[in-house]
Amino acid sequence: MTRARHIFASFLAAWCVNTAAAQGFLRLERDSIPLFRGVAVGFDVAGAAQLAMSDYGQIEGMARVNLHDQYFPTVEVGLGRASHKDDEVTGISYHTSAPYLRLGVDVNLMKKKHTGNRVFAGLRYAFTYYNVDIDCKPFPDPVWQWDTTYGVKDQSCYQHWAEVLFGIDAKVAGPLHLGWSIRYRLRLAHDDGPTGKVWYVPGYGIQENSRLGYSFNAIIDI
Amino acid sequence: MGLMLLFLCCACSSIDCPVQNTVATQYAICDGEGNATTLTDTLWIISRRSDGTDTLLNSLVEAQSFTLPISYSHPEDTLLFIMHGTDGIWTLDSVFLKKEDIPHFESVDCSAHFFHRLTNVRCTHYAIDSVTIENPEVDYDQSKTHLRIFFGGMVR
Repeated sequence: MTRARHIFASFLAAWCVNTAAAQGFLRLERDSIPLFRGVAVGFDVAGAAQLAMSDYGQIEGMARVNLHDQYFPTVEVGLGRASHKDDEVTGISYHTSAPYLRLGVDVNLMKKKHTGNRVFAGLRYAFTYYNVDIDCKPFPDPVWQWDTTYGVKDQSCYQHWAEVLFGIDAKVAGPLHLGWSIRYRLRLAHDDGPTGKVWYVPGYGIQENSRLGYSFNAIIDI
Repeated sequence: MGLMLLFLCCACSSIDCPVQNTVATQYAICDGEGNATTLTDTLWIISRRSDGTDTLLNSLVEAQSFTLPISYSHPEDTLLFIMHGTDGIWTLDSVFLKKEDIPHFESVDCSAHFFHRLTNVRCTHYAIDSVTIENPEVDYDQSKTHLRIFFGGMVR
């Protein structure tokens, strides 16, 4: 009983220390800088480059509010697109194009927060509702050998996911910033439709290897 | 830095198709009370195929269960059961298996497959008493019995 009480007391003490540290980390600095420091808009160059160089990717823009150079409530809106035609091995074509939305906040981790350069950690909640077309050139049934047609059109799907991100944002010239981020994604809820699985989810990426994502943003303070 | 990351990410890809990707129906042979039993006769199962061949199952004997392929996209499979009894008598029965065919997708890197939902089964009754659907969903799971087939007097 006493041993259990000791363990509980130790746990409580550790929790109190951690909470105090967390409050210190999140507390708004007291200085002469105003709370509202402006709005910035940006464009994800990496997603657009990916779309140009492969058969999937996204066009994504973002807007964020600068609160005291410390907190950055952020909205990211994009159009994710995949157009994979006649796979050379399987003959499968896959098409989807749909918008997605991410909402979240970044926190500037720099000790000197007002330099214009930032190291930040952030959280996002994201979702997309999209339709998928999957089809395949007619192929013979492996046993009966009759030609088989395979495909679905406008299959309705959705996905909600969360992202934890870490990034850097550097002031380049005037109002221009360049920043990149690495993101860990976690699916919260999804419906992939009656075919069982989907390949590309707008804003999330390829299902099998999209746990880690990235972005490279050109940002302008307005 | 961001572009370097992009190139690194584009350079890697993986194909993760299921290893067990056979979709087939599992039949359990049962006696009159529904208990698993062993077929004593020799059984052939044939179905008409487009390439002129027809055998799906060849000379099955002393079996308690068997596996049959299921067509990708025909609304009804017609199977002819040919039995040769220990008494030398030949018997023919037809089994008609109705189903819905559901395209199944894993990835663009994995070949197209169909899952199926069995909706009805009927048969003639020379050697077969009846066929019942035990589990209508036919997919990659080969551990479940989809149909029970009851033979009259050809089991022990």
